[in-house]
Amino acid sequence: MSILYDEGQEAIATESRRVLEARMDKDDLLPLLEATGEYHHGFWTTAKEQGWTALALPEAYGGLALGLVELGLIAHQAGRTLSGAPFLTSGFGAAKAIELYGTDAQRSRWLPGLASGETIGAVAFACGADALPQHPGVTLTGDRLDGRKIGVTGALAADVAVVLANGPGMPALAIVELDKVERVAVPSFDNSRCIADLHFDGTPAETLVVGSAAREAALHIIALQAVVTAHEQTGGAEALMEIARDYAVTRKAFGQPIGAFQSIKHRIAELYGLVELARANCTHAAAREGQSDFITAAAAARLSATDAYDTAARDCVQIHGGIGVTWEIGLHLHMRRARSLAIEQGSSLFWEDVLVDRLSGEAA
Amino acid sequence: MSDLEAYRAKAAAWCEAMVPTFGKAARKGLSVEEDLALGRRYQKAKFDAGYAGINWPTDVGGQGLGHLEKITFEGEEMKHGFPNVYFGISLGMPVPVLMQFGSDREFVRERVLKALQGEEIWCQLFSEPSGGTDLAGLRTRAETDGNGWKVNGQKVWTSWAQYSDYGVIVVRTDPTVAKHKGLTYFWVDMKAPGVTVRPIKLAGGDSHVNEVFFDDVKISDDHRMSPVGGGFGVAIATLMIERYVATDSAGFGPHLDLFVELAKDVQLNGKPAIEDGRIRQQIARNYAMRAGLDSINRRARLMMQAGMTPGPEGSLNKLVAVRSRQKLSELALDLQGNAGFAFDEHASPKDDWASSWINAPTGRIAGGSDETLLNTIAERILGLPQDHRPDKGIPFNQIPA
Repeated sequence: MSILYDEGQEAIATESRRVLEARMDKDDLLPLLEATGEYHHGFWTTAKEQGWTALALPEAYGGLALGLVELGLIAHQAGRTLSGAPFLTSGFGAAKAIELYGTDAQRSRWLPGLASGETIGAVAFACGADALPQHPGVTLTGDRLDGRKIGVTGALAADVAVVLANGPGMPALAIVELDKVERVAVPSFDNSRCIADLHFDGTPAETLVVGSAAREAALHIIALQAVVTAHEQTGGAEALMEIARDYAVTRKAFGQPIGAFQSIKHRIAELYGLVELARANCTHAAAREGQSDFITAAAAARLSATDAYDTAARDCVQIHGGIGVTWEIGLHLHMRRARSLAIEQGSSLFWEDVLVDRLSGEAA
Repeated sequence: MSDLEAYRAKAAAWCEAMVPTFGKAARKGLSVEEDLALGRRYQKAKFDAGYAGINWPTDVGGQGLGHLEKITFEGEEMKHGFPNVYFGISLGMPVPVLMQFGSDREFVRERVLKALQGEEIWCQLFSEPSGGTDLAGLRTRAETDGNGWKVNGQKVWTSWAQYSDYGVIVVRTDPTVAKHKGLTYFWVDMKAPGVTVRPIKLAGGDSHVNEVFFDDVKISDDHRMSPVGGGFGVAIATLMIERYVATDSAGFGPHLDLFVELAKDVQLNGKPAIEDGRIRQQIARNYAMRAGLDSINRRARLMMQAGMTPGPEGSLNKLVAVRSRQKLSELALDLQGNAGFAFDEHASPKDDWASSWINAPTGRIAGGSDETLLNTIAERILGLPQDHRPDKGIPFNQIPA
């Protein structure tokens, strides 16, 4: 069942929007594109101050015991204003993995820091187009990790990562402290994502879960993250739709606002449709956490949100004409973010397969 | 169980009980006339069971319940393919407008009761050969004639006019003022002298729409349902009556499950089509789209339950669902290849891909074309400017033809 937001949830949406609109400015985000490994400290400080890092974690470890619905609302607002760092999602994924599959000792060790935001977490599962690879590129032998994980979002700043590895003959999830791990920065088209390749070389690691349960756990974790990201994508798409609308009612050509031309107004109306479908799927997926159809709902949210953000980025720039492709106007910040978010947590290609496997009964 | 869930359960049980008499199997092979006769009996059964006029006032034969009960019942009803299509327009728009604007209350009560029991059918005479979307540009005229009026002109795309007893009609009573200010709203007796109905056969083979000709048709002034010159307002009220009806994210075509079954059954390059990436992508995309519409509709219901007004996103359903149904139907025919040539013009668009495909264009045009809906979203929801309208403010008889 889809949900209606209650008063507390509405307040979270309103307050996070107010704070982020006051503190985030695209002029501060533009320079970050040209500096690998830099993120927007104001954004991250705000996230910690406001308790967003603690939002969906258990009270016993300093969390606020709210859920995916509330975190989704924050992510939506973060998407509207272009969040300045990826750690809300990456840290949430690492924390949920430790909360759901770790021992009490592992939870006590990591969750309080992740909840306060003093510890930054990352999730390292993917290998190229495969979000959950059969051959994950790293091997867990006893309590040592060897091999390489490429393109890990947040890894340049993270303190801890949850890694998908080959255990002895079976998949495994492991917790790795990153302070002694060699990190090779990836200069990226969306640099504030703090992306790095991780090189493990006999690195000490702790096992979280092994065997077929590890793959199921990994899918569950990226589904949780994907729902958060889908909210962020929807927020970005919504902001672009509004930017396009505002431009179309003020910019004139041939003696009338360009928004009076159907080629423009229909394009923006189509964006409205994509945004609302994505929003509805996001809200539904967040409310299905813990239910048997959660993965299906997460996949639908992810697919429609990726479509909405990519299309909005494409069309918003197109509607602006020449000014849309300038560095200064910053629409490329959204173009870049639309693509980095489309890849993190598995691309549409991955989620299409996950979804169809379920619809056709192959994954039952 | 909530009251509404209890209501749903009861409605579902009633619908199940009706299947042997009125379901798809019972309708198979019937001529249109026989099916209509069965439909009238079904409508009477609905009335007797308390499922007709669910949210209408009890003093005209309704049940006095809410909109939620109505769409809850309709959600159950639409699962079974009952012969209710003949009454959809009648009870959807003209009769509610009659209830709202009809002046002779005894007459209104009598008509509403007969319509609810399937004895009488009403049609809506709006569109004309010169324009459908541009409603205010209509040309059918009514001139004063003694104490009453005399109507001349032509309407078109009038659903079920051939079976209708009455109709509501918008006509031009003053061509010397701006186009939407010279219209007046009446009801007419479809059996009156001078009314000629001619069915139009559509691309898919059926003939539910008609041309309707008015040739010196005399109507008295008590048929008038708006002030003289105030017809446009009532016409808009007609179109706004039911913004949230029971919607269908399949666009009134086949459910996606049927496509998945088809893809599992047929082979493509020597393996089941369900393993082909092109097919998988379309299934996934269509599922995500339909799931979004379903969530929008569920949220709208919850809002109504909470006494709130649902958001404007409900207007997306027809636009998004029907055009994607059109494409998915094409792909389903591709999947069948030359095994899919067979065509049964009596098949239902809800479970037959060829029928869904050939009837899809009607869905994208009737009740507001895709383009009109996009304009409405752009203008009403997003505040974008109206299109350029050269006829704006000009007296109707001075608009260049």
